[in-house]
Parts: sequence; structure tokens; C-alpha cells
Amino acid sequence: MPYALCFLLFMIGLYCAVVKKNMVKIVIGLAVMEYAVNLFLIMLGYRTGGAAPIIDKTYLEPGTTQITANFINTSVDPLPQALVLTAIVISLGSLALIISICIRIYERYGTFDITEIRRLRG
Amino acid sequence: MKGMTIIVKTVSSWVKVFIFLFGINIVLFGHLTPGGGFAGGVILAASYVLLMLAFGRQFVEENLPLGLASKLDCIGAFMFALIAILGIVFGGSFFLNFLFQKYLSGQALHLVSAGTIPLLNIAIGIKVGVSLFLVILMLSISCKGRE
Repeated sequence: MPYALCFLLFMIGLYCAVVKKNMVKIVIGLAVMEYAVNLFLIMLGYRTGGAAPIIDKTYLEPGTTQITANFINTSVDPLPQALVLTAIVISLGSLALIISICIRIYERYGTFDITEIRRLRG
Repeated sequence: MKGMTIIVKTVSSWVKVFIFLFGINIVLFGHLTPGGGFAGGVILAASYVLLMLAFGRQFVEENLPLGLASKLDCIGAFMFALIAILGIVFGGSFFLNFLFQKYLSGQALHLVSAGTIPLLNIAIGIKVGVSLFLVILMLSISCKGRE
């Protein structure tokens, strides 16, 4: 069920990127698609009833053995979270590039409407 | 770009210090609490963006000029590479956590623990913060036709 909602979010972003005519709305559609993909990757590593993968004082009480076994058995998977952190930073960099291209097109053609940007002016 | 009214200038000059301190806290305790280099760097850049919106671009350009920002950017990347190469010098392999294994173990769950990871967090925090500040500064310079 959460995966179906994640797919719905991706479809909403795809609709915005394909149908809209304003350039900024297309960029917002791309960003919503990236949110949906990151959310899906984090949801894959979920364990029912699991805790956040951070070792704090309750794991390290004096007299407990097998700290690593306790951590592995009770926490959610931390590896997708680390990879998605890198993916978020990459999408930040590409979004900065896309926005600067949008600003440059607006200065050149005077409009944000993509149906009026037809000919490449030399 | 011009600044804003006197109320916005007064309040943002009180608040900017706390935002900067919060960013430094997230960078420095990155091995204990959620956060680390990337998130802390974004918050450090956000404090400078608040200054740029409230006081205008000229004020911030005098405060942190472009040459100094570029040098800080390169220093952050160079520090990261230097700590990685020191892993070869002091141990055997690239990116070896030589402080944790040989010299300075520290206690668990304290600030001085986990070896070279806090130093790597500081390098990433500096680089990401200054890079985002430069991106937003360049976007505001290239907007011709308005203040």
C-alpha cells in the first residue's frame, strides 16, 4: 500500500513535467519525481516495529553483550538511507543547473512559455 | 538587490548568529546525531542567504568576498583529500581511520570519538556551505533588468 502511494506521487510529477507549459512548473514536476524515487528507496529498507539505526546510551548499558547482534535484530536498514543522502545532494546540484538555464532562457526570450520558444536565434 | 525594511533588518541580525551556531552544531556532532556534513553545510549557507535577502547583495559581498569564498571551497576539498591520503602514510590503506586505530581512540558517545570522521564532516560542511552560497550569489548577480 505505501508503494502504491509512492507510485502515485511519481505519476503526479510525471504529469506536471509532460503537460504543463510554464517552465518553472516543469522543473517542479521533476523535483516531485525525485522526491518519489528517494521515498521509495527508503521505504524498501523498513522493518516492521524497527527502531532508527542510531546507537545511543540504551545500547551501551554496562553489562550487555552482543551490541552488534542487538543492533542488527532491532533496527531498520541504514544502507538505503546513506545512499539516498548522496542522491539528494546530487539532485540539489542538478536542480541548481536547471534553474540557471531557466533564468538564462527568460533573459533571452522574455517569456517562460515553452510554446513560444521555437527558433534558435543566432 | 536592495534590502528590506528596518524591522526585517533588526530581527535578522539577531537571528543569524543562532542559525550559524545551529549549523556548526549539526556539522560537529555528525557522528553522534543525525546530520553530518551535507545537512550542516546547507544550514550554514542558509544563514548567509538570510543576510542577502535582508540587507542586499552588496553587504554580503563585502562580508564574504568572492575570492575568499573560492579559497574556502578549495580548502575544504583539499582537507578531505589530505585526510584520505594520510591514511596511506600512517596505516596501510586509503581512507584508513588511523586516529581511531592508533593514536586517539576516545570514549564512545563523546565528542572526541570515531577517529577522523568529525574532521571529514568539518571539511564537507565548509565545502557544501560555501558552494551553495556561491551558487545563490551567482544566480542573484545574473538577474539583469531588476534591482
